[in-house]
Amino acid sequence: MTDTAIEAAALGKRFGWRQKGWALRDCTLRLPVGRVCAVVGPNGAGKSTLLAHAAGLLAPTEGGITVLGTTPSAARERMAYVAQDKPLYPQLTVAETLRMGAELNPRRWDAAVAERIVDEGGLDFGSKIRSLSGGQRTRVALALALGKRPELLLLDEPMADLDPLARHQLMGTLLADAAEHGTTVVMSSHVVAELEGSCDHLFLLGGGRVRLAGPLDALIAAHTLVTGPTGDLAPHIVVESRTTGRQITALIRPEGRIAPGWQTAEPTLEELVLAHLRAPGAPALTLTDEGDADNSQGGNGGNDDGETNGTRTRGASV
Amino acid sequence: MTALTTTASRTRGGPRGLTWTLLRLHSAAVWFWALLVAVAAGSLLWAAVPGGDAAWAVYHSGPCANGVVDEGCNINAPAIELYGTAMYLGSAIINIAPLLVAVWAGAALIGRELENGTAKLAWTQSVTPARWLAAKLALPAGLLTAGALLLVQLHRIMWQAHDSRWKGAGVWQWHDSQILISNGPVAVAHVLLGLAVGVLIGLLTRRSLASMGYGFFTMGGLLYALELVRPHLWPAMTATKRAAEGQPPYIGMTVEEGGITPGGDRVPDLCLMSTDCMPGEDVVGYYRDYHPASHFWHLQLVETGIVLAVTAVLVVLSFRLLRRRTGGTS
Repeated sequence: MTDTAIEAAALGKRFGWRQKGWALRDCTLRLPVGRVCAVVGPNGAGKSTLLAHAAGLLAPTEGGITVLGTTPSAARERMAYVAQDKPLYPQLTVAETLRMGAELNPRRWDAAVAERIVDEGGLDFGSKIRSLSGGQRTRVALALALGKRPELLLLDEPMADLDPLARHQLMGTLLADAAEHGTTVVMSSHVVAELEGSCDHLFLLGGGRVRLAGPLDALIAAHTLVTGPTGDLAPHIVVESRTTGRQITALIRPEGRIAPGWQTAEPTLEELVLAHLRAPGAPALTLTDEGDADNSQGGNGGNDDGETNGTRTRGASV
Repeated sequence: MTALTTTASRTRGGPRGLTWTLLRLHSAAVWFWALLVAVAAGSLLWAAVPGGDAAWAVYHSGPCANGVVDEGCNINAPAIELYGTAMYLGSAIINIAPLLVAVWAGAALIGRELENGTAKLAWTQSVTPARWLAAKLALPAGLLTAGALLLVQLHRIMWQAHDSRWKGAGVWQWHDSQILISNGPVAVAHVLLGLAVGVLIGLLTRRSLASMGYGFFTMGGLLYALELVRPHLWPAMTATKRAAEGQPPYIGMTVEEGGITPGGDRVPDLCLMSTDCMPGEDVVGYYRDYHPASHFWHLQLVETGIVLAVTAVLVVLSFRLLRRRTGGTS
């Protein structure tokens, strides 16, 4: 048994032959099992590409990815994946879709779980998929994924089509189920608020590269929001700073003590993410779990254009 | 309604797993193929027995306008026309099937799944892309082969009944491509080629509508190319006559014909194209390359072999393409 759910090493994917067609570049990250991980980033950041690689649906252009200690293809039976557009066969009924789940996953299928999720949405088992709304379709897709009893659940923008009530209820079911079975969950989103409180791990992608990776609390602890009169913030790493009058507000990664005179505060997840999105030039940061033996991810294989020069690996005990 | 069929149906018999899934997903296509086979089989059977008897009876016994029984003067009688139509319908369905299969396989079997992303749904169940493709090839191939074999068998029965009565007097000859194809394994090979062409095109375009168009024209082109090379798949026999004796007789399938010079060279015979001609002094004889009826099986088997080989190559290419794209190690 491995304790790593996903491990990507210098993973890169280019669509087509254009030099600018890189959807994902030099992506090195590791996700321990049992985590609920958010993959965040603006549109086109490479979130879906990363998930599709983990699901064994795409061949990397360079680098590699392992899932549950093996190749994505070999781990196929042990993971579930819900694509962004929630593809389902429109000509099948809900019941037939679940039957398909049973037929195609004969060794893993748990009909009770799948049926409960469909039931909670008040869906008719006899209605055709093509007659369902987007949100109802999402529910069936999630039922199909959870019915497989996956060790790793990959969800690409899972809640985008759901109304707030259904989102809350379905997310609750999902997380309770994951907690009960120790399932590792990876979900991508560009709505940060949707993830706050439900995730304990974060991958922030931007422009096809990893910007932030690590346990959520460690990432937040590694940053400080400072406010004070205009002045030099060296030697701290400034992610983003904004000046209003003679006041400066900055998100920094402290290097040593912060000089007195600065007001400090712990950033929220949203502030952390937005600051990094607004400042694409900020150096990347990868943190690993405290006490985690695997501390080797600082080696940035393809350090080809200097953009990742600032990548550092630190323990989470900062 | 919550007591779902999933658990109940486990105990029942019937197809399981991928087979169940594919049959359920493509049930409309399965029914359509069954309907097509039923219509063709019905018309061939009718032509073989009652239709053929009625047509033959009218042909050589029906009263003609002058009151004299004259074979051939009533070739346009309704019974004979109906017989011809039934024959034509049966072999036309056999001949059009490869095109329909190519269009369907490209668009509905493969292209639509890649376009809608439902292929991803299948590949993230406990089914590898390679197994998915294998099932998508094997199951239709089985049903298509069974249907096509049945139709070929019925067509042979119909044709033997026809040929033993009408000899060369019928509208069609054994070497007309529609009849030649329908009378042997080539018909089955063509249908399988259609499947392989459609599947590869579906994988290449990943779009259902585009697959339809490319599938139709590619398969049409391949069938036309086979039509062109068919006479050359087996060494033809040659009949020659000296110029004074006129043209050699027409026997079976004509491959090539023309004049012979004193040096023995073959030249095009202008008199075959117009009546207003003078045989040149350098034409001392005429030749005609042809396939007698005894070449039927040679032509059939060589073409079947070639078509199945091409089919196998296309299938291998399909698997390679899918494997390269999904990065699957299996």
